[in-house]
Amino acid sequence: MKRRKGTSQSLMTRAGGELDDRFKLAGPTRVLMNKVFPDHWSFLLGEIALFSFILLLLTGTFLALFFDPSMTHVTYEGSYVPLQGVGMSKAYESALNISFEVRGGLIMRQMHHWATLLFMASILVHMMRVFFTGAFRAPRETNWMIGILLFWLGFFEGFIGYSLPDDGLSGTGLRIAEGMTESLPFLGPWVSAALFGGSFPGDEVIARFYIIHVFLLPLALLALITVHIGLVFAQKHTQWPGPGRTEHNVVGYRMFPNYVMKQVGFMLFVFGVVAAMSGLFQINPIWLFGPYEASVVSSGSQPDFYVMFMDGLIRLFPAWEFRVPPYFTLPGVFWPGIVGMGLSVLLPLAYPLLERRFTKDRAHHNLLQRPRDTPARTGLGVMVIVFWLIGVISGGNDVFAQAFHISLNAMTWAGRIGMVVLPVIAYYLTYRICLGLQQHDREVLAHGLETGILMRDPDGRFYEVHQPLAEPDEHGHTELEYGGATVPKKMNRLGVLEPADRGFFKSIEETEDEGARKGGRRDEIEAGK
Amino acid sequence: MSAHNDDRRPDEVDLSDPKLSRFDVYREGLRRDGIEIIHYEPRYAKPGTKVEKRMERIVASLFLGSGLFATLFVVAYIWWPWKYDGAATWRDPQTWYTPILGITLGLSLLLIALAVLTWAKKLLPVEELVQERHDGGSSRDDRRFAESTVDTVVDDMGLKRRPFLVKAALLGAAPLGLAAVAPLGGLIKDPGDMLTVTGWNAEKHNGGEPVRLMLKDGALVRPEMVATAGQITVFPAIEGGASNEFASAPTLLIRLRATDAEILRENLYPMYQDVEAMWGDFVAYSKICTHVGCPASLYEQQTQRLLCPCHQSQFNVIDNAAPIFGPATRHLPMLPLGVDEEGYFYAKSDFLVPPGPAFWNRPSLPEEDEQ
Amino acid sequence: MAASAKRRRGWRKRLGALARFTGALVIVGGLYSVFSPSLYAQEADDSANAVDSEVVKGQELYDTSCISCHGDNGEGVEGRGPSLIGVGSASVEFQVNTGRMPLAAQGPQAPAGEPSFTEEEAEWLGAYIEYLGGGSTVPDNLDSLVANADTAEGGDLYRVNCSSCHGYAGGGGALSSGAHAPSLEGVTDEELYQAMLTGPQNMPVFADNQLTPEQKADIIAYVQYLVNEDKDQGGVFSLGRFGPSTEGVAIFLVGISSLLLATLWIAGKS
Repeated sequence: MKRRKGTSQSLMTRAGGELDDRFKLAGPTRVLMNKVFPDHWSFLLGEIALFSFILLLLTGTFLALFFDPSMTHVTYEGSYVPLQGVGMSKAYESALNISFEVRGGLIMRQMHHWATLLFMASILVHMMRVFFTGAFRAPRETNWMIGILLFWLGFFEGFIGYSLPDDGLSGTGLRIAEGMTESLPFLGPWVSAALFGGSFPGDEVIARFYIIHVFLLPLALLALITVHIGLVFAQKHTQWPGPGRTEHNVVGYRMFPNYVMKQVGFMLFVFGVVAAMSGLFQINPIWLFGPYEASVVSSGSQPDFYVMFMDGLIRLFPAWEFRVPPYFTLPGVFWPGIVGMGLSVLLPLAYPLLERRFTKDRAHHNLLQRPRDTPARTGLGVMVIVFWLIGVISGGNDVFAQAFHISLNAMTWAGRIGMVVLPVIAYYLTYRICLGLQQHDREVLAHGLETGILMRDPDGRFYEVHQPLAEPDEHGHTELEYGGATVPKKMNRLGVLEPADRGFFKSIEETEDEGARKGGRRDEIEAGK
Repeated sequence: MSAHNDDRRPDEVDLSDPKLSRFDVYREGLRRDGIEIIHYEPRYAKPGTKVEKRMERIVASLFLGSGLFATLFVVAYIWWPWKYDGAATWRDPQTWYTPILGITLGLSLLLIALAVLTWAKKLLPVEELVQERHDGGSSRDDRRFAESTVDTVVDDMGLKRRPFLVKAALLGAAPLGLAAVAPLGGLIKDPGDMLTVTGWNAEKHNGGEPVRLMLKDGALVRPEMVATAGQITVFPAIEGGASNEFASAPTLLIRLRATDAEILRENLYPMYQDVEAMWGDFVAYSKICTHVGCPASLYEQQTQRLLCPCHQSQFNVIDNAAPIFGPATRHLPMLPLGVDEEGYFYAKSDFLVPPGPAFWNRPSLPEEDEQ
Repeated sequence: MAASAKRRRGWRKRLGALARFTGALVIVGGLYSVFSPSLYAQEADDSANAVDSEVVKGQELYDTSCISCHGDNGEGVEGRGPSLIGVGSASVEFQVNTGRMPLAAQGPQAPAGEPSFTEEEAEWLGAYIEYLGGGSTVPDNLDSLVANADTAEGGDLYRVNCSSCHGYAGGGGALSSGAHAPSLEGVTDEELYQAMLTGPQNMPVFADNQLTPEQKADIIAYVQYLVNEDKDQGGVFSLGRFGPSTEGVAIFLVGISSLLLATLWIAGKS
């Protein structure tokens, strides 16, 4: 080994030597840099949430430097003309100041809010990926539960965050939250009084929300995110079945340089999308809402989208109130508000254990399942998504009614009936589709691919030429087992080699002289350097 | 490179061998982490080919482009006019401040992202490696070690031999745990009458004098101030009556057409008839929806409905504001109205039932139970 | 001699009869024109002349377009159209200028649309209805009232009285069973005033004793500022000013979609 100046060898020895003396970094550095990560686009979805969270911390710190969470009454004297001379809380005033008096304040507010929506949306998308591929099975049930907790912590963090400016829209939402709290049997009025320091809205709630929003919940989120990612590191990521992939290995590429560069690039991409959206699309224009006043409300009042499911449940739930006059009332909102939210937290948390008990499958699984191979789980997932979507749309049923000239009462009834009927239909349809796809896979494995070439035999019968996937027997059937991996359905997907056309944006056909990687025409890196 | 299976892995490489290349050392390091190379080759067959140079140029220009937009961002941030100065249209530059910042910053970040990603996708070697998972629990030996360690520690502490001590410890520690959370009790407040008494209560807020009705700006309300088929929002005429301090007090004063008022009079609940809650053709309903508390203030003067915009509960104005659609289950309480000698409206008493959302011990009256 | 005298006496008699008959006609006609009321009665000043001709033209339009539902002399037709007695010119001008009237078909509410009459014709109709039964009118100094209005005061009044149906941003809102409060975009000062004053359809009536003309002008100034004058400073697109619902759609359609495409590219084998 020649020691050359300027190469990484001497770099590592000079600078790294001092650090390693103190911290013993050499081993962990090698282990970390070499770690193999599997490669699939759907594994990147959780990272959108991680990067959004980082952006939230950065933009949130900026906002915290200017926001004043006080409910002290002041008169606005800033530059937004339609509110000059209007009485409001200091919280609302400081939020208006960030929007109109602080250079660049408005775009920071918007980036913070768009990053929140992206955080929650990407958690949902990531959760669906993990669910439909069975990645939550042993040994990863704990990580699934942590993920569900992250969603709900984000839910409350977002709700509290958009209530901080004490504007008309979020104040209405806070009133609804208070009404839901009041509905708790025996405890309701006490919990409400404890939270608000007396009657609604009181003088304390914004300041209490502030410390929860900038300290307690971010701490919890940060801790859980660290554990969440740490578990992925320790247990290693799952992978799709395929050639060379078993339950006991990971096939992919190294953490450094490949994976880390892609991560950094993707992080910058996520930041760029949020920044671009914050300049192109206005979000949460609090100056239009005025300060929160208990006598003021607007048509078309909705919470942020991740809360709209709950609002939809509350809108649709029938007027059922249980009374034992004159001693006891169970308010109608208790069912969708408290029980509904409770089930929405507990059922997803418990799902891995429920599935384990139901399927009696206690083995560890490091290979993913294609959704079609578990029709019951996939159907259940689609059912839940349909249910959730109906809830969200019903949460905005008055906006729908107004935009599309539909009767509001009809929207409510459509939601009530749809919520019960549509998920069942969705389950059935999904189940059948999965079975059909499974059947097609096995048919292709047995009879080969359809080539699209039609032939006619002397008897006049038309038949399609099929390309078998293995050596067929005399009847033209192959004995291939389904291995859980994608079965090629088109001629250009045959084999384990790279597809001939590799371009993403435009066609890149293989050329003779450069870049050809088939048949070992290029030298592998084996020596030198 | 063919894939080896575990049984035939070569022996450990001797790192002191001077003939080893850097790659050999690297590969040995991989092997010790359970990693094997399936293939690993440069992306371009020969270094310095046209394609590679083109990719390098692309990556370089992406980096430079990103820097350009970042500079534009900083320049715009400092020098573009941004101060809000009254109603502005797209012709005024300050309405473009936020969009320009977002677009320049967004493009800068996107371009540098593309630069890094293109570098990763087009210039890094093509590789595929396999790493062993060491899935499953610890080895049997480790488990035995752990068991014996825990058992020894427990034995050293004598926990099994001293149950009385253990119980005493728990008995003593439990109240200490309670003491740790006890300060949160400072949050606890007795709700008292916060849900049952509103700003209209004369004894509590006006020294026994009946509370008059006022508009938001403080003007006292006379019957002549409301047109037929009109409605206004009224508040108790006390200190801070229109503020959030009395959030359950806002009330809708409606002047019905004569025919509609007659129908309402026939439908009045006995408790409202007893106190003569209506005054002439006027009726006053609590604005706070009995579902979850938003102001139910969309008054449809032809269909005679009050619609709450939050969850679409609808109340029948000419039937004691009883709910006729949506999730609300109780009528909007009626404020008993009177007019004093000076011609101002006043509330004869507080609401007869608590306004707003229900709670477990809300007094419910027979009329409500019939709904 | 007797025959010619008789002939001379005959035509004189006829002439006298004719003269007497004509004189009687003139007297009767004169009495009639003096004592009977007439749409064509001449008055002293010119402005009154103009009002009357407007009323006449308005009646002509009314008798062809409105009478089938609103009846003779605006008295209304059971099950088809309410009485217009006392609604005033403001109400008529609002309904006609926003295209709501004449109503094409019965439904939960009359939608705004292309007006069927010019603004001048709407004024004539308004004048006719005002003539028939009186009612409220838009003040002549509306422009100066709005120019001197307090926008922030208007905002306060708007939020207490109007936003629950028309939305914080004046975009309108859904009412029960198919009715809706319309968007305030592109609505003129006069139409805003007329609507507040007359309470069309389900909208409550905000008469001048309830919201004074100055207060109405404040609200008009606020609405025009918010809806029609001040463009959104937060972005190029306002997402319809619908609020969180369209923001949620945008994050999936724009944010998640573009990032999904990015992941496909990043992890792809290209």
